Amino acid sequence: MSATTRNGIAIDDTFAEAFGMTGLGLVITADTAKWANICATVMTGFGTSVIGAGAECGIDRELSQDETPDGRPGVRVLMFGFSPDSLLPQLKNRVGQCVLTSPGSACYNGLDSAKTFGLAAGPRFFGDGWQTAKKLGKRRFWRVPVMDGEFVIEDKCGYTTDGVGGGNLLVLGRDRAGLLEATEAAVAAIAKVDDVITPFPGGIVRSGSKVGSKYKGAVASTNDAFCPTLKGAVKTECSPDTIAVLEIVIDGLTSKAVADAMRAGLKTLIEVGAAKGVTRVSAGNYGGKLGPHHYHLKDLLP
Amino acid sequence: MSTLSFNLRAAPSLALDLSALIPSKLAGLSLGEIARLPLGEGSDAPAAGDAFDIAGSPGDTIVISGGSPLLDYVGAGLDGGTILVGGAVGAYAGRGMKAGKIEIAGDAGAYLASTATGGLVHVKGSAGDFLGGTRPGDRFGMLGGTVLVEGSVGQRAGERMRRGVVVARGKFGPAAGSRMVGGTLWTEAGFGPRPGPLLRRGTLIGPSVDEVLPTFADCGRIDPVILAILSRYIAGVLGPLAPKALPRTVRKLAGDQATIGKGEILLTA
Repeated sequence: MSATTRNGIAIDDTFAEAFGMTGLGLVITADTAKWANICATVMTGFGTSVIGAGAECGIDRELSQDETPDGRPGVRVLMFGFSPDSLLPQLKNRVGQCVLTSPGSACYNGLDSAKTFGLAAGPRFFGDGWQTAKKLGKRRFWRVPVMDGEFVIEDKCGYTTDGVGGGNLLVLGRDRAGLLEATEAAVAAIAKVDDVITPFPGGIVRSGSKVGSKYKGAVASTNDAFCPTLKGAVKTECSPDTIAVLEIVIDGLTSKAVADAMRAGLKTLIEVGAAKGVTRVSAGNYGGKLGPHHYHLKDLLP
Repeated sequence: MSTLSFNLRAAPSLALDLSALIPSKLAGLSLGEIARLPLGEGSDAPAAGDAFDIAGSPGDTIVISGGSPLLDYVGAGLDGGTILVGGAVGAYAGRGMKAGKIEIAGDAGAYLASTATGGLVHVKGSAGDFLGGTRPGDRFGMLGGTVLVEGSVGQRAGERMRRGVVVARGKFGPAAGSRMVGGTLWTEAGFGPRPGPLLRRGTLIGPSVDEVLPTFADCGRIDPVILAILSRYIAGVLGPLAPKALPRTVRKLAGDQATIGKGEILLTA
């Protein structure tokens, strides 16, 4: 089904199928960029897939000191869940366990929206009655006394139900090390797009899944059609020279952001991929009947 | 943006209530109708046209030329637009205002911005007693918004104030932050004697206090993040008029311990 070839890389005439998600953004600051990153990394850890991790989380971008409410270095993180109801407990646990606890941290809303969660609804009670609030303009900041001073957490954070989860690119190659390097470069390009995250380790998934399993109780199982070691044994999607396949999964606060991210990733793969052994780029879908968002690769070509 | 000008004809001999002279109340009125608006209660209240020469057309901005401590309720209930006053104003300027900006070239009287919920008041002179405070019948004093006083402030500023920020270049008089339940009083010059009697919550920031109440507990030096948030916030609201950013560390006096004691005096020097 190769529709076109760019720079020696086949681009399949297919599309990524993605789903509506609930997404939110937070701004995490600390005394140094190092500690803001530590806090954000831990807070978004184990946030790969809603199926097993409860929420899909990642760092959108680092923020300069001019962009944060307290003038300190910061990081914007995004979290995605199936629904507001499923995302809220993840927010509460992750902020309570990973942000409140991190030295020098503060936590602010990172998404302006009419729909809000009570960001401080749980964490402020850690103050045991000593917490106080300071409302400045339209924003209310809670100050919770902790052992290194005060943990500041904004009262509310916005969320959107127009988020999109599951934008993706499947990258096929004939050299596993080169494939990984090229895919890393694509993830780096996607990282420059605002309002998106790539929630898997380093932004890359090696265990793409299909819906269902031969085993009872497993909702998903290995995507055998893209497993190079099975390419003679199953109805394969791999090319004869495929040694490995990697996937980039993208979640975004808007459908446009996901499309922009896929476009940026695709462009980078086309630019650097051939020399690294990338042979093909495809995308994962379920026939188009499950997810409302379809991103056709041919529409995203540079 | 059209401007409506009120030129004070002569110094008034009686207090005038200028609460009718805000852009939203004057929109759509003719100059003749505006001239007939009463500036006070009762059948003998003077009309706007008796006290002022009125020119221009109703719009976003009202300019009051001249000033007098008998001009009460200037910008009271303001919900948008700008009021510029060329001189002094009396009591209750900006009372209950929700949005917009009032700029007063002279001094302001008592109860400036009492029960205000938003907007900005900029006084180039000094302000009287009970700035942002309550008068009998009010549950709280100031409830939001920002006041900047270039001069000094009278007694009991922020009485039962709940939210908002008051910044003064000069000193606050005695008992600033009296019975305050929230919000921020910030002086670049210092507080007079005994600030914060029965202070529940809220923040008083300044370089010095003339006399500290015995019911404030010294918590020593602290470096809370909220100082940076406050500095950045006020810089955004006041722009070049904003006070110098707060230092990284301050000395905290917690009180008033005669009540719930969750308020604080933060000493910047």
